[in-house]
Amino acid sequence: MKKSTRVLSGIALMAAMIALFALVYSKFGPKSDEGSKTYTLEVVDDTGSTASYSGRTDAESLSGIMDELVAEGNFTYDGSDSEYGLFISTVNGITADYDNDGAYWSIMVNGEYGQYGADSQPVSDGDDFELVYEKAQ
Amino acid sequence: MEMILNLSMKKRSKHQIPGNDEYRADDSSMTVANGRPSGLAGVSSRKSCRNFGGFSILDIAELGMMTALLEAGKHALDFLPNVELVALLLIIFTLHFGLKTIAVALAFTAIETAFFGFQTWVIMYLYIWPALVIIVWLNRRKTSVWFFSILSGLYGLFFGAFCSIPYLFIGGINMAFTWWVAGIPYDIVHCIANFALCLALFKPLNHAMNYILKITSR
Repeated sequence: MKKSTRVLSGIALMAAMIALFALVYSKFGPKSDEGSKTYTLEVVDDTGSTASYSGRTDAESLSGIMDELVAEGNFTYDGSDSEYGLFISTVNGITADYDNDGAYWSIMVNGEYGQYGADSQPVSDGDDFELVYEKAQ
Repeated sequence: MEMILNLSMKKRSKHQIPGNDEYRADDSSMTVANGRPSGLAGVSSRKSCRNFGGFSILDIAELGMMTALLEAGKHALDFLPNVELVALLLIIFTLHFGLKTIAVALAFTAIETAFFGFQTWVIMYLYIWPALVIIVWLNRRKTSVWFFSILSGLYGLFFGAFCSIPYLFIGGINMAFTWWVAGIPYDIVHCIANFALCLALFKPLNHAMNYILKITSR
């Protein structure tokens, strides 16, 4: 076998191995961009208009989803730690001031009031969350 | 000491590779078949040197310099993940100094361990670099830069697979496989970098090594 043929064969072998490894990676590699759980999150503001978000996540808590959405750039929120966990004060720039007019952001989980703060609200596959601007009666 | 050095270098200079005008290090058994040396690297050529566990003073000096070069090469490219000169340097050292390069690989691992502490990768380093030395030594009669470039590239590509072996014992085949697959992108970078670096630097480094050995043999 000519030397040039041997060299080309060697390079072809290496390229084939790289392609094979890339194939193995695409088939069995970690899918870090896709979480294992689906969710929807709907924000209902003080005027009743809504903003909807959905996706896949590996987040353990609702605040984890909110942080992911903040990182994506189309969602903002602010809050403070309280004895009940994260107390959400502002969502998408709209602040609920309970001391002023009794307004607050409530958390709905699958159509019912959530029992936990956003940072301790567990996330299960297929959960539907809502952040609703409400006022105390 | 000068007499010892001269004796050693004279012995080395006898073994000229056919078809290659430059000199390569001789082998320890000093058996020469068809004009080519074979056997382990440079022990009998240093018979008159004092021995320290099988290594002469000259051996130890050479090992120290080679280890220093490995460390310098490693840290010079630390800012580029999986781009390293260690594989290329070990190839060059093995071609010129034979199996005693294994001691360099082990010394390199010891220094890295001193830098970064003992972790799982230390176990990997203990076999993966000596394995490269042995593979190159088995192919020491090859002279083609393309051969060693492809060998270096494939070594980089399989680096993760070789390194996953300890995980077979830690967490079974699933853990080893997952660990290997997760690192494949880095292995591909390692492969391409090793190939390119070897292709670009093998000849100059080999030439420099031959030149150093030639002038020190005077």
